[in-house]
This record gives sequence, structure tokens and C-alpha cells, in this order.
Amino acid sequence: MNIITNNNIKCTAAQSVLHDVIDPEIGLNIVDLGLIYQLDFDETDKKIFCTMTLTTQFCPMGESISTAVKETLKSSFSGYDPIIELIFQPPWNHAMISEKGKEFLNKR
Amino acid sequence: MFATANTGTSTTTSYKVVLPFYAYAAVAFLVATIFLALSANNITKHYFQPHTLAITHIMALGWGTMIILGASHQLVPVLIENKLYSNTLAYVSFIFAAVGIPLLVYGFYVFNMGWPAQWGGILILSAIITYLINLAISMAKSKHENVHAVFVFTAALWLLITAAIGLILVCNFTLLFLNKSSLNYLPLHAHIGIVGWFLLLIMGIGSRLIPMFLISKYNNTKTLWWIYALINGGLLAFIFIFLYADNKMLLIVPLLAIAAAIMLFGNFCYKCYRQRIRKKVDEQMKMSLLSIVMMALPVIFLVAIICLIILSPGENISLEIAYGFIIFFGWITAIILGMTFKTLPFIIWNKVYHQLAGKGKMPNPKDLFSDAVFKWMGIAYVSGFVLFTTGILSGYTLMLQIAAVLLLITSLLYNWNVIKLLMHKPLVS
Repeated sequence: MNIITNNNIKCTAAQSVLHDVIDPEIGLNIVDLGLIYQLDFDETDKKIFCTMTLTTQFCPMGESISTAVKETLKSSFSGYDPIIELIFQPPWNHAMISEKGKEFLNKR
Repeated sequence: MFATANTGTSTTTSYKVVLPFYAYAAVAFLVATIFLALSANNITKHYFQPHTLAITHIMALGWGTMIILGASHQLVPVLIENKLYSNTLAYVSFIFAAVGIPLLVYGFYVFNMGWPAQWGGILILSAIITYLINLAISMAKSKHENVHAVFVFTAALWLLITAAIGLILVCNFTLLFLNKSSLNYLPLHAHIGIVGWFLLLIMGIGSRLIPMFLISKYNNTKTLWWIYALINGGLLAFIFIFLYADNKMLLIVPLLAIAAAIMLFGNFCYKCYRQRIRKKVDEQMKMSLLSIVMMALPVIFLVAIICLIILSPGENISLEIAYGFIIFFGWITAIILGMTFKTLPFIIWNKVYHQLAGKGKMPNPKDLFSDAVFKWMGIAYVSGFVLFTTGILSGYTLMLQIAAVLLLITSLLYNWNVIKLLMHKPLVS
């Protein structure tokens, strides 16, 4: 799934570091799982707006995953303040898993 | 493109509410298998004897019900997409049940239906009412109603009816207010509990969890509603026939309805399995899927019991005891053994690593318990279960003793892994 962004270069860098955030149950990173919907960068106020979802609403791991996203972005983009927004429309579905993610799940 | 409604996730039920249920259930399973090992020689005499009644109620209440109540406090928010109404009510429910179950079991064990059993029954009933209130308010506050939540709520209502009948039967031993003896109503109490509570609830939660853990594309709400109608319709028919019909052959009607529901559920799980995105199925899921297959066993036994009654009227004790055993030590235990290690590691992981998320490399939930111990537990369980069932049917005492030891080993290994999880300390590199 393509991530909406206002800064392609920084979005690519953010995606790269977010590959380290793994969904603990599935074992797949949240980028290939398709949980990240939008990544916008506000250069004036030094903020990162990350709009993401979870595989299921009220997922018991939800808070841990969103905290991990926030901490990862914070440590990789020095001086920026990441703001995480969890949304459930459109709801996550299997079609949002990337080809690489599907390949990973086929092997595990 | 995106809607930002309902963004909160800090609505997960506190681990402090859920963990006591898991710990209590683990101890109850151990106690039940110890009692089973001590009573293995006498188990085939009759199901209505003190030690058998005690073991049955430890398994049904201390093991099955306690762990389901604990897990459902965690899972209800996922099912209804809203937070649990009250953690305090969940604590109260635990305390009532935790005190009530040993009192009731003690009453059965020494066969004293006086105050310990009666107060035990009252406390258990209070625990269920507290749970139902919590569930009802949580569901009423939720905007999303779904088939899984309806299964859970209906199952809890059947549990309330089961416990109420159980309490009436216990009191009838001393107060004698029913027309017949309590023994006559035992099948009614048992089947409402087994079908209305365990079967309905496990299907309701299982139909949500199995596709979720397999990451399956398959979903069929219509089938689930059919299963719901067949189970509840079958159970209502059973109650009516049991209480009012003279011809007990009519019992085949509810049996067919419930057998159809089990087949539909089996087919639902099979399709989930076939359409899974995650190809590798872990040991815990294999155990849970095995329990779905094991659901067919009691139906087969019940058909055999009914056929034998037609051919030669009278009780077939060994078949009836085997029927009870394969329910409580069969599919109910198998799904708990599997699902404990799909749910508890996440609860512990959240407890230990929630604050450390994103601050280093940390273990996955599945790394928090021993996979090797789980595998050995599975081997001990399956062999113990098969041997014990065969032992009941053949009346071979040595086989029952060996099987009881294998089931005791199962509970020890289960407790080993549960303790390992509960005692887990953070490991971050």
C-alpha cells in the first residue's frame, strides 16, 4: 500500500526505520503489514504526523505498537516531535500487506 | 480518505484484572489432575460419587470457567470495540468465584451439601451475576454489535442458568423441595453448562480468534448466525423435552441440531485454515485446531449412549463416564492448553514491555515461554487423554493409573510455562 506524504525523501527514510517496528504477534514489520497510512513532515514546527491503523481495533498490543512508532521516529529524526494518530477508517485488511510481507508470511 | 473517529487505544483491560484468573485456573488444573490420579481406581464406578463430582466441578469451574472469564475480560473489548465497563467489577467477580469454587468442591468431596456447598454455590452465582452486569454495560455502551459479542453474552446467560440450577440441586439435598431427587436433574444442569456456556462461548470467541491468529481471509457471519441458532434452538428443545416429554427418543432432535452446529463450526475453521495468509501454523494453534476436531467425540459418544439405551434399556456407566471425561478433559482442556499460550504471552508482554516499546530489541511474546515444554505438554496430554478414555471403556485400572500420571505431568508442564510467563523480567538489548 502506498503511503501518502508531503515529503518523499523523508518518508522513505521514515519507512526504512519503521521496518524495525514489528507486530509482536505476526512477526512482520508494520510497514509491510500496511499499518502506516500517511506520514507528513512539518518543517516549520518540526513535527511528524503519522497516521496509522491496527490490524484490529482495541488490539491489546495497539498501545505498544503506537508507542514503538513514536519512539522510533523520535530517535531517528532528531529535533522532530512525532504525533501518532490511530484511525480505523478505512479498516485494515489483508490486501494492505505488501508483496514482501506476503512472501514473508508464506514462509512462516 | 481517512476518518479519525475513535482513536484511543489505552482501553485495554488491565493485566492486573486478567492475570489472577489465569493463575487460579492453572492451580485448579493441577489440583484436578492430582485428584484424578488419586481417584483413578474408582473413577469407573459411577459418575454420581463425591470425588468424581469434585473433579468435574474443579474442571468446569476452577479450570474452564475461570480461564474463560479471565480471557474474556481481555477479549471483550476486541469483540465489542469498546473498553470493559469496570475493572472493579471484574475483581469482585474473581473474588466471589475464587472463594466459592473451593467451598463447593469441598462440599462435593466430603459429600456434605450443607453450608460449604450452599455458600459456595451462592458465591459462584454472585460472581456470574457480577460478570454479566459488567458485560451487559460494556456492550450497551458499545456502538458496534457483532455476532461474536452476542455469542459471549448469550453464553454468560446460560452460565447463570446453569449455576442457578446447580444451586437449586445442592439445596434440594437438604431441603427436598423438588419432586424428584437432584440426581434426576443432573443431565439438565450438565448439558446447559456444557452446550450453553462452554460450546457457545468457545465457538463465539474461537470464530474471532482463529481467523485472527491464522490471518485468514475467510469470514462468514451468516454461518456463525446459523451456528448460534442451532445451538440455542437445540438447547431450548433439549430443556423442553427433558422436562415435559415422555418419549426420550425425541432427544435425538437437539442432538442433531448441536451436531449440525459443530459440523458448521468445523467447516468454518477448516475454511479459515485453508484461506490463511500465514502459512506456518504454530504448536498452540495446532492444539486449538485439534480441540475443534475433538468436539465431534462427545456427539459420537452420545449417539452410542442413545443407541444402547434403545437396544437395552438401562445405564451404560463406562460410556457415560467416558462421555463426561472427553468433554472436560477433551476439547475444553485442549483449546485452553492451546489458547493460553496464544493470549497469556501477549498480556505479559504488554505488562513488561509496554513502556519499553521502541527503545531497543526485545523478545517476541512467543519467546516468553518454553516451546519445548509446550511440545512435551502436548505429547503428555494427547497420550494421557487417549489412554484414560480407553481405560474407562475397558475398565483396565493400570491403564487409568498411567493415564492419570500423564495428565498430571500435563498440568505440571502447563503450570511450569504459566509460572515462567508470570515471573518474566524484561530483557532488552
